[in-house]
Amino acid sequence: MLVYIIDDDKIFAECLERFLRVAEKDMSQFIVKHFSNVIDAVAEMNGEVPDVVFLDILLDGPDGFTLLNEMASYDDTARVSIVIVSSLDIRRDLKDYGVVAVLDKATMTPEEVGAVLRDLHDGGSQDE
Amino acid sequence: MESEVNGILVAAHELKAPLCLLKQLAFSIELALDEGERQKIRNQMIDVSDRALRQVEDLTKISRLSDGLFEMEPVAVRAVCDEVTAELRTLFRFNHRNLEIEYRNRNRLVYANRELLYSVVYNFCLNAMHYSDEETRSELTLSDKDGLVRLAVRDFGPVLPADVWRSLKKGWVEKPTSIAMRPGSSGLGLYIASKFSQYMKANVGAVRHRDGTSFFVELLPSKQASLF
Repeated sequence: MLVYIIDDDKIFAECLERFLRVAEKDMSQFIVKHFSNVIDAVAEMNGEVPDVVFLDILLDGPDGFTLLNEMASYDDTARVSIVIVSSLDIRRDLKDYGVVAVLDKATMTPEEVGAVLRDLHDGGSQDE
Repeated sequence: MESEVNGILVAAHELKAPLCLLKQLAFSIELALDEGERQKIRNQMIDVSDRALRQVEDLTKISRLSDGLFEMEPVAVRAVCDEVTAELRTLFRFNHRNLEIEYRNRNRLVYANRELLYSVVYNFCLNAMHYSDEETRSELTLSDKDGLVRLAVRDFGPVLPADVWRSLKKGWVEKPTSIAMRPGSSGLGLYIASKFSQYMKANVGAVRHRDGTSFFVELLPSKQASLF
Protein backbone atom coordinates (compact mmCIF):
# COMPACT_ATOMS: atom_id res chain seq x y z
CA MET A 1 0.00 0.00 0.00
CA LEU A 2 1.41 3.35 -1.03
CA VAL A 3 0.39 6.20 1.28
CA TYR A 4 0.90 9.91 0.64
CA ILE A 5 0.87 12.44 3.45
CA ILE A 6 0.39 15.97 2.10
CA ASP A 7 0.92 18.51 4.86
CA ASP A 8 3.14 21.59 4.99
CA ASP A 9 3.68 21.13 8.71
CA LYS A 10 6.59 18.74 8.82
CA ILE A 11 6.22 17.96 12.51
CA PHE A 12 2.54 17.11 12.09
CA ALA A 13 3.35 14.88 9.11
CA GLU A 14 5.88 13.04 11.25
CA CYS A 15 3.23 12.50 13.95
CA LEU A 16 0.81 11.12 11.38
CA GLU A 17 3.44 8.80 9.96
CA ARG A 18 4.20 7.58 13.47
CA PHE A 19 0.49 6.77 14.03
CA LEU A 20 0.40 4.89 10.72
CA ARG A 21 3.53 2.97 11.61
CA VAL A 22 1.94 1.78 14.86
CA ALA A 23 -1.27 0.81 13.07
CA GLU A 24 0.73 -0.97 10.39
CA LYS A 25 2.22 -3.52 12.81
CA ASP A 26 -0.52 -6.03 12.10
CA MET A 27 -0.95 -5.17 8.44
CA SER A 28 0.86 -5.91 5.23
CA GLN A 29 3.71 -3.51 4.65
CA PHE A 30 3.13 -0.12 3.18
CA ILE A 31 5.24 2.82 2.02
CA VAL A 32 4.69 6.37 3.23
CA LYS A 33 5.74 9.42 1.20
CA HIS A 34 5.52 12.94 2.53
CA PHE A 35 4.88 16.09 0.45
CA SER A 36 4.63 19.63 1.73
CA ASN A 37 2.64 20.94 -1.25
CA VAL A 38 0.17 19.83 -3.89
CA ILE A 39 2.44 20.49 -6.88
CA ASP A 40 5.14 18.06 -5.71
CA ALA A 41 2.51 15.43 -4.89
CA VAL A 42 0.87 15.69 -8.32
CA ALA A 43 4.27 15.46 -10.02
CA GLU A 44 4.96 12.21 -8.12
CA MET A 45 1.48 10.86 -8.94
CA ASN A 46 2.34 11.04 -12.62
CA GLY A 47 4.81 8.24 -11.96
CA GLU A 48 2.99 6.13 -9.40
CA VAL A 49 -0.55 6.55 -8.13
CA PRO A 50 -0.94 6.13 -4.34
CA ASP A 51 -3.54 3.93 -2.69
CA VAL A 52 -4.34 6.44 0.05
CA VAL A 53 -3.75 10.17 0.48
CA PHE A 54 -3.84 11.86 3.89
CA LEU A 55 -4.51 15.43 2.85
CA ASP A 56 -4.31 18.72 4.71
CA ILE A 57 -6.44 21.52 3.26
CA LEU A 58 -4.61 24.74 4.11
CA LEU A 59 -1.40 24.43 2.14
CA ASP A 60 1.11 26.74 0.60
CA GLY A 61 0.17 27.32 -3.06
CA PRO A 62 -2.77 25.27 -4.37
CA ASP A 63 -4.88 24.03 -1.45
CA GLY A 64 -6.29 20.61 -0.67
CA PHE A 65 -9.58 21.29 -2.45
CA THR A 66 -7.64 22.03 -5.64
CA LEU A 67 -6.00 18.63 -5.38
CA LEU A 68 -9.38 16.95 -4.82
CA ASN A 69 -10.65 18.50 -8.05
CA GLU A 70 -7.49 17.58 -9.92
CA MET A 71 -7.58 13.96 -8.74
CA ALA A 72 -11.28 13.59 -9.52
CA SER A 73 -10.53 14.61 -13.11
CA TYR A 74 -8.51 11.53 -14.04
CA ASP A 75 -9.60 7.90 -14.04
CA ASP A 76 -6.61 6.50 -12.18
CA THR A 77 -6.39 9.17 -9.44
CA ALA A 78 -10.19 9.35 -9.04
CA ARG A 79 -10.04 5.85 -7.52
CA VAL A 80 -7.59 6.86 -4.78
CA SER A 81 -8.97 6.92 -1.22
CA ILE A 82 -8.51 10.29 0.42
CA VAL A 83 -8.51 11.06 4.12
CA ILE A 84 -8.74 14.77 4.91
CA VAL A 85 -6.72 15.80 7.96
CA SER A 86 -7.40 19.42 8.81
CA SER A 87 -8.16 21.81 11.61
CA LEU A 88 -10.93 23.32 9.49
CA ASP A 89 -14.51 22.40 10.26
CA ILE A 90 -15.36 20.45 7.11
CA ARG A 91 -18.97 19.35 6.90
CA ARG A 92 -19.36 19.10 3.15
CA ASP A 93 -19.99 15.70 1.69
CA LEU A 94 -16.90 15.02 -0.40
CA LYS A 95 -17.53 11.33 -1.21
CA ASP A 96 -17.68 12.16 -4.91
CA TYR A 97 -14.06 13.29 -4.62
CA GLY A 98 -12.92 10.01 -3.11
CA VAL A 99 -12.92 11.30 0.47
CA VAL A 100 -13.48 8.33 2.76
CA ALA A 101 -12.90 10.07 6.10
CA VAL A 102 -12.28 13.48 7.63
CA LEU A 103 -9.99 13.71 10.65
CA ASP A 104 -9.94 16.82 12.80
CA LYS A 105 -6.38 17.77 13.76
CA ALA A 106 -7.65 19.02 17.10
CA THR A 107 -9.41 15.86 18.19
CA MET A 108 -7.90 12.96 16.25
CA THR A 109 -6.12 10.15 18.09
CA PRO A 110 -3.63 7.50 16.94
CA GLU A 111 -6.39 4.91 17.39
CA GLU A 112 -8.67 6.86 15.07
CA VAL A 113 -5.96 7.09 12.40
CA GLY A 114 -5.29 3.37 12.81
CA ALA A 115 -8.98 2.54 12.47
CA VAL A 116 -9.25 4.53 9.23
CA LEU A 117 -6.19 2.79 7.83
CA ARG A 118 -7.48 -0.64 8.87
CA ASP A 119 -10.84 0.05 7.20
CA LEU A 120 -9.04 1.03 4.01
CA HIS A 121 -6.79 -1.99 4.19
CA ASP A 122 -9.62 -4.44 4.86
CA GLY A 123 -11.69 -2.84 2.10
CA GLY A 124 -8.76 -3.17 -0.27
CA SER A 125 -8.26 -6.83 0.68
CA GLN A 126 -11.93 -7.62 0.10
CA ASP A 127 -11.76 -6.01 -3.32
CA GLU A 128 -8.87 -8.25 -4.24
CA MET B 1 -15.75 46.27 14.96
CA GLU B 2 -15.94 43.79 12.09
CA SER B 3 -12.20 44.00 11.43
CA GLU B 4 -11.51 43.56 15.15
CA VAL B 5 -13.61 40.38 15.23
CA ASN B 6 -11.83 39.15 12.10
CA GLY B 7 -8.48 39.87 13.76
CA ILE B 8 -9.47 37.88 16.83
CA LEU B 9 -10.59 34.98 14.61
CA VAL B 10 -7.26 34.97 12.77
CA ALA B 11 -5.33 35.07 16.04
CA ALA B 12 -7.46 32.22 17.42
CA HIS B 13 -6.90 30.17 14.26
CA GLU B 14 -3.15 30.82 14.35
CA LEU B 15 -2.97 29.71 17.96
CA LYS B 16 -5.12 26.64 17.36
CA ALA B 17 -2.46 25.16 15.06
CA PRO B 18 0.30 24.82 17.71
CA LEU B 19 -2.20 23.48 20.25
CA CYS B 20 -3.33 20.77 17.83
CA LEU B 21 0.30 19.94 17.17
CA LEU B 22 1.17 19.72 20.86
CA LYS B 23 -1.69 17.30 21.42
CA GLN B 24 -0.51 15.04 18.58
CA LEU B 25 3.08 15.23 19.84
CA ALA B 26 1.86 14.18 23.30
CA PHE B 27 0.28 11.09 21.72
CA SER B 28 3.51 10.54 19.81
CA ILE B 29 5.69 10.32 22.90
CA GLU B 30 3.92 7.11 23.93
CA LEU B 31 4.49 5.65 20.46
CA ALA B 32 8.15 6.58 20.07
CA LEU B 33 10.44 3.71 19.16
CA ASP B 34 13.31 4.61 21.46
CA GLU B 35 14.66 7.24 23.85
CA GLY B 36 16.26 9.18 20.96
CA GLU B 37 12.91 9.62 19.26
CA ARG B 38 11.25 10.51 22.55
CA GLN B 39 13.85 13.22 23.13
CA LYS B 40 13.31 14.57 19.61
CA ILE B 41 9.56 14.79 20.26
CA ARG B 42 10.14 16.55 23.60
CA ASN B 43 12.35 19.12 21.83
CA GLN B 44 9.68 19.65 19.19
CA MET B 45 7.09 20.21 21.91
CA ILE B 46 9.31 22.81 23.53
CA ASP B 47 9.93 24.61 20.21
CA VAL B 48 6.24 24.62 19.27
CA SER B 49 5.22 25.90 22.72
CA ASP B 50 7.93 28.59 22.67
CA ARG B 51 6.71 29.96 19.34
CA ALA B 52 3.08 29.91 20.43
CA LEU B 53 3.93 31.59 23.73
CA ARG B 54 5.88 34.28 21.91
CA GLN B 55 2.88 34.96 19.70
CA VAL B 56 0.58 35.22 22.72
CA GLU B 57 3.06 37.54 24.46
CA ASP B 58 3.29 39.72 21.35
CA LEU B 59 -0.48 39.97 21.15
CA THR B 60 -0.59 40.90 24.83
CA LYS B 61 2.04 43.57 24.23
CA ILE B 62 -0.08 45.09 21.46
CA SER B 63 -2.84 45.70 23.97
CA ARG B 64 -0.30 47.40 26.27
CA LEU B 65 1.20 49.69 23.63
CA SER B 66 -1.28 52.45 24.37
CA ASP B 67 -0.04 52.59 27.97
CA GLY B 68 3.33 53.73 26.61
CA LEU B 69 5.21 51.44 28.99
CA PHE B 70 7.82 50.31 26.47
CA GLU B 71 10.77 52.58 27.04
CA MET B 72 12.69 53.80 24.02
CA GLU B 73 16.47 53.69 24.27
CA PRO B 74 19.59 53.19 22.14
CA VAL B 75 19.64 49.55 21.05
CA ALA B 76 22.48 47.64 19.39
CA VAL B 77 20.56 46.45 16.36
CA ARG B 78 23.12 43.88 15.17
CA ALA B 79 23.08 42.17 18.57
CA VAL B 80 19.29 41.88 18.42
CA CYS B 81 19.47 40.39 14.90
CA ASP B 82 22.16 37.95 16.05
CA GLU B 83 20.00 36.77 18.94
CA VAL B 84 16.93 36.27 16.76
CA THR B 85 18.79 34.38 14.06
CA ALA B 86 20.46 32.18 16.66
CA GLU B 87 17.02 31.34 18.07
CA LEU B 88 15.50 30.59 14.66
CA ARG B 89 18.37 28.82 12.94
CA THR B 90 17.36 25.33 14.09
CA LEU B 91 13.79 25.91 12.96
CA PHE B 92 14.97 27.08 9.53
CA ARG B 93 17.23 24.05 9.20
CA PHE B 94 14.43 21.69 10.21
CA ASN B 95 12.25 23.18 7.47
CA HIS B 96 15.06 22.95 4.90
CA ARG B 97 15.53 26.69 4.61
CA ASN B 98 18.54 28.91 5.11
CA LEU B 99 18.76 32.23 6.87
CA GLU B 100 21.60 34.44 5.65
CA ILE B 101 22.73 37.65 7.33
CA GLU B 102 24.46 40.68 5.90
CA TYR B 103 25.31 43.76 7.96
CA ARG B 104 26.25 46.91 6.04
CA ASN B 105 24.99 49.53 8.50
CA ARG B 106 27.44 52.09 9.87
CA ASN B 107 25.00 53.27 12.52
CA ARG B 108 25.18 50.52 15.11
CA LEU B 109 22.65 51.92 17.55
CA VAL B 110 19.02 52.63 16.80
CA TYR B 111 16.35 54.37 18.81
CA ALA B 112 13.99 51.57 19.77
CA ASN B 113 12.61 49.37 22.49
CA ARG B 114 14.75 46.25 22.61
CA GLU B 115 11.87 43.88 23.37
CA LEU B 116 9.69 45.23 20.58
CA LEU B 117 12.55 45.32 18.08
CA TYR B 118 13.31 41.69 18.89
CA SER B 119 9.70 40.79 18.09
CA VAL B 120 9.78 42.76 14.83
CA VAL B 121 12.90 40.91 13.62
CA TYR B 122 11.55 37.58 14.87
CA ASN B 123 8.21 37.99 13.11
CA PHE B 124 9.82 39.16 9.87
CA CYS B 125 12.13 36.13 9.86
CA LEU B 126 9.35 33.69 10.72
CA ASN B 127 7.18 35.20 8.00
CA ALA B 128 10.04 34.81 5.52
CA MET B 129 10.40 31.17 6.47
CA HIS B 130 6.70 30.48 5.92
CA TYR B 131 6.70 32.22 2.56
CA SER B 132 9.97 30.73 1.28
CA ASP B 133 10.04 27.67 -0.89
CA GLU B 134 11.90 24.62 0.38
CA GLU B 135 15.67 24.61 -0.13
CA THR B 136 15.71 28.39 -0.58
CA ARG B 137 17.19 31.07 1.60
CA SER B 138 15.90 34.10 3.44
CA GLU B 139 18.15 37.13 3.83
CA LEU B 140 18.35 39.47 6.78
CA THR B 141 20.19 42.68 5.95
CA LEU B 142 21.00 45.85 7.84
CA SER B 143 21.94 48.95 5.84
CA ASP B 144 21.91 52.75 6.06
CA LYS B 145 19.32 54.52 3.96
CA ASP B 146 18.57 58.24 3.89
CA GLY B 147 19.85 58.74 7.40
CA LEU B 148 17.91 55.77 8.78
CA VAL B 149 18.89 52.20 9.53
CA ARG B 150 16.99 49.81 7.29
CA LEU B 151 16.41 46.30 8.60
CA ALA B 152 15.09 44.11 5.78
CA VAL B 153 14.14 40.45 5.54
CA ARG B 154 13.74 39.00 2.07
CA ASP B 155 12.09 35.73 1.20
CA PHE B 156 12.21 33.72 -2.01
CA GLY B 157 8.76 32.29 -2.40
CA PRO B 158 5.23 32.88 -3.66
CA VAL B 159 3.91 36.38 -4.25
CA LEU B 160 2.52 38.19 -1.23
CA PRO B 161 -1.31 38.03 -0.90
CA ALA B 162 -2.88 41.18 -2.38
CA ASP B 163 -4.66 42.27 0.82
CA VAL B 164 -1.44 42.15 2.86
CA TRP B 165 0.33 44.05 0.09
CA ARG B 166 -2.36 46.75 -0.03
CA SER B 167 -2.11 47.20 3.74
CA LEU B 168 1.66 47.50 3.58
CA LYS B 169 1.50 50.12 0.86
CA LYS B 170 -0.49 52.26 3.27
CA GLY B 171 2.36 52.03 5.75
CA TRP B 172 1.51 49.04 7.92
CA VAL B 173 -0.65 45.96 8.14
CA GLU B 174 -3.93 47.12 9.63
CA LYS B 175 -5.25 43.68 10.40
CA PRO B 176 -4.38 40.06 9.79
CA THR B 177 -5.93 38.57 6.67
CA SER B 178 -8.71 36.05 6.15
CA ILE B 179 -8.75 32.83 8.17
CA ALA B 180 -8.82 30.95 4.87
CA MET B 181 -5.04 31.36 4.84
CA ARG B 182 -2.95 28.52 6.20
CA PRO B 183 -1.59 28.87 9.75
CA GLY B 184 1.55 30.95 9.86
CA SER B 185 0.69 32.87 6.72
CA SER B 186 -2.26 34.99 7.80
CA GLY B 187 -0.08 38.07 8.15
CA LEU B 188 -0.49 38.02 11.93
CA GLY B 189 3.28 38.23 12.36
CA LEU B 190 3.44 41.19 9.99
CA TYR B 191 0.56 42.83 11.83
CA ILE B 192 2.45 42.45 15.11
CA ALA B 193 5.66 43.80 13.51
CA SER B 194 3.74 46.75 12.05
CA LYS B 195 2.18 47.67 15.38
CA PHE B 196 5.51 47.55 17.20
CA SER B 197 7.28 49.52 14.43
CA GLN B 198 4.58 52.16 14.58
CA TYR B 199 5.12 52.49 18.33
CA MET B 200 8.87 52.94 17.77
CA LYS B 201 8.16 55.68 15.16
CA ALA B 202 9.77 53.50 12.52
CA ASN B 203 8.70 53.22 8.89
CA VAL B 204 7.61 49.79 7.77
CA GLY B 205 7.03 48.57 4.25
CA ALA B 206 7.69 45.95 1.63
CA VAL B 207 9.31 45.57 -1.77
CA ARG B 208 7.85 43.08 -4.21
CA HIS B 209 10.33 41.03 -6.23
CA ARG B 210 9.59 38.64 -9.05
CA ASP B 211 10.70 35.78 -6.83
CA GLY B 212 9.61 36.91 -3.40
CA THR B 213 9.17 39.85 -1.06
CA SER B 214 11.33 42.02 1.19
CA PHE B 215 9.81 43.40 4.36
CA PHE B 216 11.64 46.26 5.96
CA VAL B 217 11.56 48.57 8.92
CA GLU B 218 13.49 51.84 8.96
CA LEU B 219 14.69 52.87 12.37
CA LEU B 220 16.06 56.15 13.66
CA PRO B 221 19.76 55.92 14.47
CA SER B 222 20.61 56.87 18.01
CA LYS B 223 22.80 59.97 18.55
CA GLN B 224 24.84 57.95 21.01
CA ALA B 225 26.13 55.87 18.14
CA SER B 226 29.12 58.19 17.88
CA LEU B 227 30.32 56.98 21.29
CA PHE B 228 31.02 53.51 19.89
